[in-house]
This record gives sequence, C-alpha cells and structure tokens, in this order.
Amino acid sequence: MKTFLLAACLALAVPTAWADPPKGYPFVDYNAGLAAAKASGKPVFLYFGRYGCAWCDHTNKKTFSDAGLKALYSEHYELVYADAESGKRITLPTGERITEAELGVRLKAFATPLFVYLTPQGEKIVQVPGFKTVRDFRDYDRYVRGGHYKTQTLLEFLGSKS
Amino acid sequence: MRRAVLFLAGLLAAHAQAGWQWEAPLDVSRAVGPAVFPHVESANRKGLAVSHGTVGMVWEDNRSGTPRCYVAFRPTDAPAFSADSPVSEDECYEPVLAALDGTGRFLAAWEAAGGVWVRVLPAGKPLRLGTAASAQVTLASRNGQVRAAWAEQAGRYKRIMVATLSVKGDTVTAQSVRPVEAGEPANDQAWPALTLTAAGDVVVAWEDRRNHHTVPYGSRAPAGTRDYAPVGRLSDQRSGRVDGLGAGMGAMRPTLAAWGENGSVAVWLDKRDFLAGYDVYAAFDAGGRFAKNLRVQDSFGDNMAQWHAGVATQGTRLVVAWDDARDGTPDVWLSTWSGTGFVEDVAVPAASGPGEQSDPLLALDETGALHLVWLAREADGTRVRYARAVWR
Repeated sequence: MKTFLLAACLALAVPTAWADPPKGYPFVDYNAGLAAAKASGKPVFLYFGRYGCAWCDHTNKKTFSDAGLKALYSEHYELVYADAESGKRITLPTGERITEAELGVRLKAFATPLFVYLTPQGEKIVQVPGFKTVRDFRDYDRYVRGGHYKTQTLLEFLGSKS
Repeated sequence: MRRAVLFLAGLLAAHAQAGWQWEAPLDVSRAVGPAVFPHVESANRKGLAVSHGTVGMVWEDNRSGTPRCYVAFRPTDAPAFSADSPVSEDECYEPVLAALDGTGRFLAAWEAAGGVWVRVLPAGKPLRLGTAASAQVTLASRNGQVRAAWAEQAGRYKRIMVATLSVKGDTVTAQSVRPVEAGEPANDQAWPALTLTAAGDVVVAWEDRRNHHTVPYGSRAPAGTRDYAPVGRLSDQRSGRVDGLGAGMGAMRPTLAAWGENGSVAVWLDKRDFLAGYDVYAAFDAGGRFAKNLRVQDSFGDNMAQWHAGVATQGTRLVVAWDDARDGTPDVWLSTWSGTGFVEDVAVPAASGPGEQSDPLLALDETGALHLVWLAREADGTRVRYARAVWR
C-alpha cells in the first residue's frame, strides 16, 4: 500500500517537474493576473514558458530558487504564467480574446523563457528573453518599479548603473 | 557547355514564368471596427472549404459583444461573398467547415458551452459530439465519407476522439464515436488534424504531451474499420533532457492533407531550432508511419519565427502557407512541393507588404485553383480577406 501511494504521488508530481512555473511562487493565469493587477496597482511579471523547456527549467532551478528573489517578486508583482503552446483562452486589455500560444505571436517570441513586465493596466513595459540571473531580475525590478522605463530604455538604464 | 547553359537558362525561364496568378482580393466579413477582432484559428486550420463551385468560410468575431461564429459563401463566379450569418446562437470558438461532396453544401463544427457541435449549413440543427468537456473540433470529408475529430476530457487529461458522421438532407448523425487510443491518456492530447486518404483510410494527428513536452503524434485506421494503429510520432526528433534539464523541444498545431494513392502529408510548427522561433516542418506518411521531417520554409526565413502553418493538396499539387515577418512586418508566404523538395517561398501579393497580413487558411479545389483567406490588420480594424489563384 505504501509503495502504491508513493508511486501515485510520484506520478502526480511528474508534470510539475517539467518546466512549468517555478515552485512556491503565486503564479496565476493571464486573466486572473491582469484582473489582480488592476485591483492592486502592482505591475505584472509575465513568465512566458513552454512545457518541457530546458532553459525554463534551468532558470527555475538556478534563479527562481533564490529565496530573496521569490520574496521580492511575490510581494511586488502580480505573477502570471502563460504556456507558449497552450490553447487556453485569455483576454487582452484591448478586449481581444486570443490563446496563450497566440500571445507568443503578439509578443514576437522567438525563444522561451520570455519575461515580460506589464503596467497594472496591461501595457508592455519591457520584455527580456532567455536565462537570467538573480541579479538580472533585481535590476529589472529597479527599472520597472523605479519608473525608469518612462525615460530610458532598459539598455540605457543598465548602462547608466554600471 | 553552351548546350548545358542554354538548358539551364530554359529551365530557369520556365520556372520563372510558372506561378500562382492571383485574382483581385475580396473582403469576407463586413463587420470591421477597432474593437471587432476576427479569428480564423481552428484545429487543422479548416475554416475554408470549397464545395461544388462554392467557397465557404467560417470564423469567429466579437461584433455582438461575445465571441460568435459566422459563415459566408461565394460562388466562384460571384463578385463578392454573401452577407454573413451566424453558425450558432451561443458563444462559439474555433469553427471549421467541410464540403459535402457534389452538393455545393457544407458541414460546420465548432466549440460552444464546453462541448463540440456540428450541423449542416444553412438549415440543419446542431448536434453535440460526445458528452464530456470537449474542444478543438475538426472535420474531413471525401467521396461521401465524413469524419470529425476533437479533444475530449478523459479523467485528468484530454484525449483525441474520432466519429463517423452521416448526412441525410439537413440532418447529421454520429456513429462509432471512439478514442484513437483506448484508456485514459497519460498527458494532454490536443489540436487534432484529420484527413481521409484517396483509399479512404482515416489519418489523425495531434499535439501530445506524454513525453512531457509537446510532440505531434499520429495514427491511422484502414478504410471501413474503426481500428487505429498504434500511435507514432510525426517528429523525428527525440524527447529527452538536455544536461538534465527540460524534456525536449516544442512543436505545435499539426495540420494534415491527403497525398498520393493512400498517403498523407503533415505540416506543423517546430521549435527544434529553439533560438529562431518555430519553423514549418513537414513529413509524408505512406502506410502509417511518417518519414523523415523536412523543413518547409527556405533559408531566408531561417532566423525568423513562422506562425499559423497549414497545408492543402489536390492531385499532385501540395501547397503550404504560413506567415512570418522576414520583410519587416507579417506577410503570408507559400511554398509548393516540387516532387523532391519544397521550392523557394513566395509572398502572396495581396497578403504582403506594409501592414500585417497573417493567419492564412488555404484550400485547393478540384480544378487545382488555390483559395486563400488571411487576416489583414489595418488602422480601422482587422479584415478577413480572401483571394483565389490559378497556377500558370
């Protein structure tokens, strides 16, 4: 019986081990996250991932495992996860209904993971593709929540701080 | 040497002269506005069909405030599409259309209220296919045979179902509704594509996550049977972790068309080159197994994401359509099968240039004429556009 329960638990655990949102973060779907952002006034951090994506897995393990980063992003952002190949329906701020996969078309996504910062109203602030470090995400946080995006590109901001 | 040069020049000249000759494009829908958003996505990208000289087109838009599906028709010699009419009364998604042979009539299917539905247009009553939560329905018809496939909830995940449909007058009925694989699925199956081969075999392809990443899978049932062969991958890429990470590259939205005496061809979006977005890949099957994968788009599209790929066949003609932004903005591109490979990409004149032209649907009619629909995003709204071409 014990063996059976263990096997059942492992079987149920398998899908979450294959590059979905990082463990322990309060990620929600796009519609819920955008609605929460409107209510809270927090910016949105959109994690555009892909089921089975190796670089997403790497980012989850290397970067999002950092307890400080987890606290920072969980407190200050509405966290949204979208699957690059999913047919799940979402509604854009324009009122257009598309799928999560189609969101990749609109974002001109060429690789996953893709990280997108949005205003509480759902307007795009900046997007950054690929593996990023804890320090990168702390820099992006300063850029976004510090309002620097209103006057500088991300590259200008990163150049000026070094 | 001189003879060889002349021969080569002759070949190039002949090739340069042959191509798709396009008629003037038309609007399909008249509901256009800044807050009206038409969509043509569907399983197997089957919103466009040609039945006995009439072109039919289904799509979804939100003109009424909620997503609903609409249909419009155009006899191929008419100057415009008919006024559109609703396919269903309710919220409706991802509609598809199939020609009913030799009648000039069509069968439509769509998702609504958590199920998938089918009806004969224009007067038939809707029939729900299956009983569990379902989505992503598609249709295939040939020589009086009609099949539907969809993704249906079976325990924790969805699996692919196939039904035989019979049409008498305006009434459609479903028989032998069954899953391609018996038993509960090990992970999600979605976005089925379906075709009937020239010999009447049923070929099904779909997105499958049993390997913990998305892989196009397929199976086949011989004509007159309901017994699907053991499923197999369309992709010749292996699943597996890279340095202990992930589960494999992505792939999505397989489409299918009949090919040859009893074969089929599949076209899908494939991310094996993972830094350049999805590419368009194809594979031919003959007798149940898909062969070596072929990249469809040419090298000028290499560093560019391709989207919304679909395939159409008629006789020895095979055309693949998709959109990409290699020229700066999204345009619709075509590639045709030469017999040995996919030839260089050609932009569709009315669906390229400034602005955004994307989301192509294509069909080849019995004369070999190509019918194409796409979305044109313009300042005052998005239009559903159509054009017809003949090969000369």
